[in-house]
Amino acid sequence: MENMIEVKNLTKRFAGCRAVDDVSFTVGKGEVVGFLGPNGAGKSTTMRILACYLPASSGEAKVAGFDVFRHSLEVRRRIGYLPESTPLYPEMRVDEYLSYRAALKGVGSRRRRPRVNEVKELCGLTDVGRRIVGQLSKGYRQRVGMADALVHDPELIILDEPTIGLDPNQIRQVREVIRNLAPKHTVLLSTHILPEVEVTCQRVLIINRGRIVASDSPDRLRTRLQGGREIVAELRGAKGDVAQELYQLPGVTRVTAEAVEDWTRFRIECGTEDIRPLVFAAAARSGWTLRELRQEKQSLEDIFAALTRVEQESK
Amino acid sequence: MSAFFTLWRRELAAYFLSPIAYVMMMFFLVIMGFSFWLLANVLAQGVEGVPLMRELFDSFFFWITTLTLVPVLTMRLFAEEKRSGTIEMLMTAPVSDTAVVLAKYFGAVAFYVAIWAPTVLYVLILRWFSPMSAPPDLGPIASSYFGALLIGSFYLAIGLFCSAMTRNQIVAAIVCFALLSVLFFGGFIAFISRVDTVREVANYFCSLAHMREFARGAVDTRPVVFYLSGAALMLFATVKLVEARKWK
Repeated sequence: MENMIEVKNLTKRFAGCRAVDDVSFTVGKGEVVGFLGPNGAGKSTTMRILACYLPASSGEAKVAGFDVFRHSLEVRRRIGYLPESTPLYPEMRVDEYLSYRAALKGVGSRRRRPRVNEVKELCGLTDVGRRIVGQLSKGYRQRVGMADALVHDPELIILDEPTIGLDPNQIRQVREVIRNLAPKHTVLLSTHILPEVEVTCQRVLIINRGRIVASDSPDRLRTRLQGGREIVAELRGAKGDVAQELYQLPGVTRVTAEAVEDWTRFRIECGTEDIRPLVFAAAARSGWTLRELRQEKQSLEDIFAALTRVEQESK
Repeated sequence: MSAFFTLWRRELAAYFLSPIAYVMMMFFLVIMGFSFWLLANVLAQGVEGVPLMRELFDSFFFWITTLTLVPVLTMRLFAEEKRSGTIEMLMTAPVSDTAVVLAKYFGAVAFYVAIWAPTVLYVLILRWFSPMSAPPDLGPIASSYFGALLIGSFYLAIGLFCSAMTRNQIVAAIVCFALLSVLFFGGFIAFISRVDTVREVANYFCSLAHMREFARGAVDTRPVVFYLSGAALMLFATVKLVEARKWK
């Protein structure tokens, strides 16, 4: 796969601190990549460097093969960028603003109107074209920013916290828009909300204190970090017997029991093999009543906490 | 080039979308209207041989308005974009720093011209009411406007530079007003110094003396070169200031 973004040993120092510290990563064409990290981890700084707003202190960054510092105009022609706080001119009307931005980004005068209408429809702005930007709600302003980022049909779209300040319905819409961009466009989005990446991104880059601490698909990250599985079974039966029998199953390392109403919930920690069928078979054999049998999914949140904690401890 | 025109149109439109512009326009027209009334009084007294345009272009009122108008017109150009963060949107669009600076500058110049435009009515009124045998001399009128435009173009460039220095509009306006005052009142050395050489040097940058000449109908190339090169220098400095963000 051809690379849309190539970042090599990128470092950005501000007075007294390293916002981005020797970061390297690549993003392939057509990928949707989530940039994940706690506040102040260096997400915005990295994105600003990619969008040619800030220069790097050292290292290099390329977009579509162009260096962001040396061929800044070529890069800027190819990206749609939505900064963190969605700054817009408050005194302009939505239509005016979008058509101004389209003209600025080189959309020809004939293509401009249909194109503005297209992005307005894509971002759910059709009804507010005549409204003044400054009077729009936060959610609408965010969508105007999105429409602005998309208006010149860029190859790479960089969105800094695109769903911040939106209500759940709007978040769903924005995610939908992002997902629809995927095959044709490359998307790099940042967020500190974890479920966000799980639903929209094919790959996650976790950044903490200016360093990339992990880069993988959400699923693979999960299995990589988990090491083993945890299975939860709720059943009725003689307590001692059950635990003993469960320990007989292959790979089981620990069984704990707790009472839930008049049922008993067993947490079974085991190896990588899925032993749920064996638990069921054991229940059938011994005549236990089984009401729940599931595999506990470690959330991305736990992974994230684990990764960023490790990083902090090693410092 | 098309990016420049897009930017320029927005800059000019932004003036008409903000209340400051209308307030300044009114302030300006009230004062210029008063000056015109003074000029009409001079005419009514039947004084002859006075360069009429000095009442409009070489008065205390002309200078007080120019020195306050320019900082107010230019203070928001960069400072507001920096404060609200829209500078990030602007600078990540495929436009060069030079295009942005020039568009903002010529937007301000265009608005300055627009503020002056209604005063052309005064000339028409003069023409209308003066006897056929003695129409007002159009030469000095044209040169006066030319002088006001020249001085304005340099002062506006200074204002633009000040606005690019800070993210606070008030600071930009005050610094600009201070610089303009130094330049303007510094020119007074041309009148008060006893040393010939000092007087001669001061004459090169004395706006008051230049405007007096323009109002008389004399277009000297020295002030023309001074104001145009001054404006060019300030614009160059502004471009560098905007680029400076990339040197850090």
